[in-house]
Amino acid sequence: MSALPANPQDRTSDRALSRRSFLRGTAAVSGLAALAASLAPLRELGDFTSIEEFFQKYYKELTPEEMKRVLARIERQVEQQYGVRPHVRDLKPMDGVEFVYCLNLTRCIGCRKCVHACVAENNQSRNPEIQYIRVLKLPHGSLDLEKAQHDYVAKEVPEKGFFYMPVQCQQCKNPPCVKVCPVHATWQESDGITVIDYDWCIGCRYCEAACPYWARRFNFAKPEIPKERLNPDMAYLGNRPRRQGVMEKCHFCIQRTRVGRYPACLEVCPVGARKFGNILDPDSEVSHILREKRVFIQLKEEMGTSPRFFYYFDK
Amino acid sequence: MATPAPVPPEPSGPSATRLLAGVGLGFAALAALFVAELWGRPASFRRIPLVATSFLETKPIRQSYADLVAAKEDLSDYDCYACHEKNKPPPIKFDANHKIVIPKEHKNIEMGHGSHDRNNLCYNCHTEQNLLTFQARDGRELKFDQSVPLCGSCHGPTYRDWEAGAHGRTSGYWDRKLGQPVRLACVNCHDPHNPKIPGREPAPGPHSLHEPAPAAAGTSHP
Amino acid sequence: MIQGTRNYLRFLWRCVRIAFVGDWRYYAWMGVLTALTLIGLNAYCKQLVYGLAVTGMSDEVSWGVYIANFTFLVGVAAAAVMMVIPVYIYNNEELHDLVIFGELLAVAAIIMCLAFVTVDLGRPDRFWHLIPVIGEFNFPASMLSWDVVVLNGYLLLNVHICGYLLYCRYHDRKPAKWFYIPFVFIAIFWAVSIHTVTAFLYVGLGGRPFWNSSIVGPRFLASAFSAGPALIILALQVIRGVTHYRITDKALLTLRSIVQVAMIINVFLLANEVFKEFYSGNLHVASSKYLFLGLHGHHALVPWIWTAVALNLIGMFLLVLPLSHSLKWLNVACVCCIVGIWIEKGMGLVIPGFVPTPLGAIVEYSPTLNETLICIGIWAFGILCYTVFLRMAVPILQGRLAKANEGQPEPDGEPLPPAPSLPASH
Repeated sequence: MSALPANPQDRTSDRALSRRSFLRGTAAVSGLAALAASLAPLRELGDFTSIEEFFQKYYKELTPEEMKRVLARIERQVEQQYGVRPHVRDLKPMDGVEFVYCLNLTRCIGCRKCVHACVAENNQSRNPEIQYIRVLKLPHGSLDLEKAQHDYVAKEVPEKGFFYMPVQCQQCKNPPCVKVCPVHATWQESDGITVIDYDWCIGCRYCEAACPYWARRFNFAKPEIPKERLNPDMAYLGNRPRRQGVMEKCHFCIQRTRVGRYPACLEVCPVGARKFGNILDPDSEVSHILREKRVFIQLKEEMGTSPRFFYYFDK
Repeated sequence: MATPAPVPPEPSGPSATRLLAGVGLGFAALAALFVAELWGRPASFRRIPLVATSFLETKPIRQSYADLVAAKEDLSDYDCYACHEKNKPPPIKFDANHKIVIPKEHKNIEMGHGSHDRNNLCYNCHTEQNLLTFQARDGRELKFDQSVPLCGSCHGPTYRDWEAGAHGRTSGYWDRKLGQPVRLACVNCHDPHNPKIPGREPAPGPHSLHEPAPAAAGTSHP
Repeated sequence: MIQGTRNYLRFLWRCVRIAFVGDWRYYAWMGVLTALTLIGLNAYCKQLVYGLAVTGMSDEVSWGVYIANFTFLVGVAAAAVMMVIPVYIYNNEELHDLVIFGELLAVAAIIMCLAFVTVDLGRPDRFWHLIPVIGEFNFPASMLSWDVVVLNGYLLLNVHICGYLLYCRYHDRKPAKWFYIPFVFIAIFWAVSIHTVTAFLYVGLGGRPFWNSSIVGPRFLASAFSAGPALIILALQVIRGVTHYRITDKALLTLRSIVQVAMIINVFLLANEVFKEFYSGNLHVASSKYLFLGLHGHHALVPWIWTAVALNLIGMFLLVLPLSHSLKWLNVACVCCIVGIWIEKGMGLVIPGFVPTPLGAIVEYSPTLNETLICIGIWAFGILCYTVFLRMAVPILQGRLAKANEGQPEPDGEPLPPAPSLPASH
């Protein structure tokens, strides 16, 4: 028999063993209690999700019946939360339409009205702040974005020696965000708008990393929209209020443009720098611009994204 | 089959029994700490004030004569012969530096149409014989609500762009089958006597999620 | 069939039971790890309720320590299986049993990877959207979908190999070669693939010039094969110390050679990167400037990366010198390699990709307390899993937990000797 240190507490005493088993049991029970207690914050989870939303199918697989139910659910939820009954539609792309945006860099004065009109139209969160459009102030003669100022403050714009370039989702023909989404939550529709199904997105933020234009935004917290500024005219793929944990971005004001109207950023621009329309229509102003203006650029063209956003100059 | 390991000596230290008791108590304490929520409540967000509604205004900054008529506004400013005499064109005075002298009755007008005072003769646009009309460069007489072809008679390329919808804001409906676009006249944005669009204060800038309040002009990210 | 299932269930039950018994060191260790895991879980619950705003991430820097740790751990998981190469291809018998310890580490690392990815999701309740057929799986276009496939496949591969070999050892049966050898060879290729796919997550993003470079893939593998075996060297010494399992120094020195060569390649590739970024002076180097030198007054990462570079160089020199034949210096070198690579592959890879943003803005990132607690919780959980795996595997490999001694009381605390003919060791 090999030499074993005689330690009555740990070796042969039956009483010691049963005491240890008992203590093991109590330790396990208090461990389970600690586990349950660690989940305590979840009691404030509230309306994180519902059974309907959890099982909701992918947008492209919803039958018209199911879509009607989904729209009704959204209307109910918005009314419950904001006290305003919205009108939510599922708008399909129009035939023979491909949208294009042209922006006149000679005209833009950097007033940022487009940023805030977009926020108001599209029910974006105010706290934390989400803004689809970012206006860059660049020095004359350079398109080097590292020289851009984002948070400029001035008594008067435009300031001498600078020009202003608003950037939003470019609705690329070859979108990197669509390529990388692991669940197809974002895709490009036939009229050129890259849309997001907010109820399908899992919030991995791979698309945000992939976008070369920093166009995509994530809801890091529950979005806060002031009741009195809610826009009740909504679309499923557009400006209906989003949830915490999903992506969103400019969608060319889908609730307006798919019923023939101009986007909100264009409507508020005081100098008419923004131009929007159907490139397949030779009489549209965007067709005129792309025909007549000698110089227009697409941002970061070398990325191969083929944006539908053209910046041009008059002089 | 590897040879079984030799017996290790018993490590010295508190017994397993005592440690188990400690572990049990530790978990209970942890449970209490969790329920008391002593840490981890996120600080509430910095309150970003709502943007002033003036920045959301879509109305153009000026009204054209046609707008004034449609809105049934007071048009007495446009009744030139209330003060002037018919068939007696008012003379235009210049000072020693050949700068136009605006009479005190029209002191709300600031002349600045063209650099180096190259266009500060009123009758370049107004008709001497008939103050209620404009005269285009090709000799046409235009009424007060026809200011656009007046501007276009000199500013050709801009006028062509305007006709195509590429100059000046076009709002309303891009799809003409579904509704009408809303066009603006030149004077809705440009003061005809001093057409350069004045600067304005920009709306507030962006706030990043975790950053402190933005610094003053030019001091943060270049 | 039924008897087979019953045997298997009893085997599992005994494994679970043995995970709850040990000596005072075991209870202390497991107690601390469990407490840390629960603190992490509690922090995650807060994140679920309040959203990812409780982290330091923002739209400008939209990935942080979660993805940084995920990237590092995929490398560890890949490298843990690389011990398989000397054993099965070069027939190195020294390392034979140690393969299982490596693969168990891979399983624990993959569990940590999956946990890190899950806590990073904005809507983890929608995970089912990733499942093919019932969800919408964007395979093969999205590299993230490839990652889901290869990581889960790798987990299954390793669970199968370890589980099968341990179960055969439990029954004192020789394992059937066809049931595990092919999987071992698949695991070698799969290990390389999981890390290459993870590298391609970054490389494929044309809009981020810091990542869009062909050196990222080779660097990932080189750094993984330094940090992974270094971790195993340390882990094996702990196993040897606590359980007195027979692990020769020769095995540790074989692993040292792997770390040595991999670290030399890693440092060489770093030199390549630095030259390419800074010599030509073109405009796409802003992210590298931010990382190494600071950019426009923002320099939060500069001390980190230089620490990492210093640790990597110290580790490499120690490994090259015969000094590291001594275990003390080998351990120092391993710690340097692990920490250095954790910094450069984690924060040193993920964060500079976001600074400056594609529009030129600079917003810095630092993890919050809640974020850090979740990271610590997941690491604690991973180490807890690995401890449990070893708590089951070592007695099985030592013959103390076997079918033969079923029905007897479980070994409590330090195990009793298996045979009375053992010579006294004192």
